Amino acid sequence: MEGLVLLGQGIVHFLTPWSLFNVAWATLLGVTIGILPGLTATMGVALLVTLTYKMAPDQAILTLMCVYLGAIYGGSRTAILLNIPGTPANAAAALDGHPLAQQGKAGLAMGLATTSSTLGTMVGIFFLAIIAPLLSEAALKFGSYEFFWLALFGVVISGQMTGSDTPLKGYIAGILGLLVAMVGMETLHAHQRFTFGIAALGGGIDLIPAMVGAFGLAEILSTMKRKVTGHVAPVNDRVIPTLREIFQYWRTIIRSGIIGTFIGIIPGVGEDVGSWSSYAAAKRASKHPEEFGKGSQEGLIAAETGDNAVVSAAMIPTLTLALPGSAAAAVLIAAMLIHGVRPGPMLMVENAPFLYQIVAMLLLATIANLIFGLSLTKLFIKVLVVPRERLMAVIYILCVVGSFAITQRMFDVYVMLVFGAVGFLMREMKYPMAPLVLGIVLGDLLDLNLRRGLALTQGDPSPFFTRPISAVICLIIMATILMSIPPVGKRVRGLFGRKGAEQPSSP
Amino acid sequence: MPDNSDATEEGVRARADLLTALVLVALGLAVVYLSWTMPRLEARHIHPATIPGLVPLFLGIGLTCCGGLLLWRSWRIKAPGGWQSLFGLLRTRETLRIGVVLGLALIHTLVLVGLIPFWAAAMLFIFAFIMIFETWLNEEPAEPLKSLCWALAIAVVGGGGIYLVFERIFLVRLP
Repeated sequence: MEGLVLLGQGIVHFLTPWSLFNVAWATLLGVTIGILPGLTATMGVALLVTLTYKMAPDQAILTLMCVYLGAIYGGSRTAILLNIPGTPANAAAALDGHPLAQQGKAGLAMGLATTSSTLGTMVGIFFLAIIAPLLSEAALKFGSYEFFWLALFGVVISGQMTGSDTPLKGYIAGILGLLVAMVGMETLHAHQRFTFGIAALGGGIDLIPAMVGAFGLAEILSTMKRKVTGHVAPVNDRVIPTLREIFQYWRTIIRSGIIGTFIGIIPGVGEDVGSWSSYAAAKRASKHPEEFGKGSQEGLIAAETGDNAVVSAAMIPTLTLALPGSAAAAVLIAAMLIHGVRPGPMLMVENAPFLYQIVAMLLLATIANLIFGLSLTKLFIKVLVVPRERLMAVIYILCVVGSFAITQRMFDVYVMLVFGAVGFLMREMKYPMAPLVLGIVLGDLLDLNLRRGLALTQGDPSPFFTRPISAVICLIIMATILMSIPPVGKRVRGLFGRKGAEQPSSP
Repeated sequence: MPDNSDATEEGVRARADLLTALVLVALGLAVVYLSWTMPRLEARHIHPATIPGLVPLFLGIGLTCCGGLLLWRSWRIKAPGGWQSLFGLLRTRETLRIGVVLGLALIHTLVLVGLIPFWAAAMLFIFAFIMIFETWLNEEPAEPLKSLCWALAIAVVGGGGIYLVFERIFLVRLP
């Protein structure tokens, strides 16, 4: 009951002209970012942190949340009309969205994508409102031992699930991220590590410049590598779907929403995995699996419900454990810290209304998505044909501003350049970025809690393995690593007598 | 044809992985060495299990192991002509395009910023970027006059707009 009151207060809190104005422009900007191939949700949120720097904390987070959700939704437009995913999260949507557009049902495809995005977000919001307070309460019992394992779990599971080529590359990206977090002054004994006499490294490497580089400059380089011209499919049919067209797939919507929520809760496993997993599950359960990839409305609904559910659900570990549920959520954590909001188990104790304000933000953002998505079709099609050469030049300048503005040192701009170049090379060699980001965010948590735990027990590591929650997380980590070894994974799957699901690997 | 290009791409990636794995193993060993030789703060009587080099040491070992496994994995993949294809990538138009973006970015950030006002550096960068990619590196027939007009307009609006929005409206300091 108290939760409902807080939720009501959260919604009322944002029903002001200024908040609604911020919701409108930020959602439009987010959708535009999502539509433009080469601009991802994470990049948009990272660049926008600078612009919201001087705003009030609630308005700043509201703006960033609208951009995040808008971008994930907007990418479906590009997937449907151009067959190019606007963001990696929309790759699965292109499989059926574009064939639908080619069949002259582009309007219907966009309408279904819009409504299923909204429903996906709603499912995620439902679970966020229910699970987050419970998890937050449970997390109050966590000590250094549990937090060490949770940090390690985040990096390992993210590496395992996002390494498209081999999990090994996911693990390597995670370790590299953790190593980046080791640079600078450590928090237990205030000793400077790996600074090599460079004073600017004393404070460590900030997340925002690193993210702007890895998701901004690296994305510019990937986009500019070759000129891609796509033919925009014409939109001649109605955009607003009928209720029957949507709700005949209610099972798919609920299933995909739950899968998306589950993926969102797992740290560092983002919208793309949520989308592919929902798509694969829908294909397995469908009465017409043969239609998948050829313009299946069910496939499109599954993909778009799944990825949008991830956005809301990613807030569950982000807010309650300070473990980012996705790469964009990692930037949100940095933004929250900049604005004096400390996510983690103490959030419900120190600032309980904030959790419900996040729920309200997502609700407003998804309503804005629905309204704009169903009404501004022609405007968004115009955005699709903006030449990327002209756009990317301006984006680079925004990357420079974005990395400089927070701490106002050119060193951060150089960090952005290095992360951009290295991030681009890593992407080209199929190293996932999410574990890298997670490593940077969780490095300090992992390091501090391991050594603090050992200090508490005078060097005895047994509580790390004997405390019940620690033991469970430790076992999950071990199982995850073992399962990523091909012969072991094959045998275990064989034991359950099921063939490996033919799930397309995420790009 | 697509199968052939897939095989080439796989070969190139296997050889690129091999090179990367060597770098990762070297980096991992360097981290292990630096962590091992990191001060253990004995003078401050800290517990030996809480030394600053502990986690980096584990990470260094982890990186070396993962790098080693990647080395073994990519070594086993047969990729005839993989090395030629990999080094052949350096001479492609794609590499040239990436090099130009990076070159322009470095000139803007390391040379122009600080030398001239930020808005002017931004305008110059945007103008040069658009002109180069719409004329010299354009894969379709170029329209220099049209590109010139667009480049000038976007440089002025983009460079000036960023300056106005960030520094004047949102009061964010620019480089």
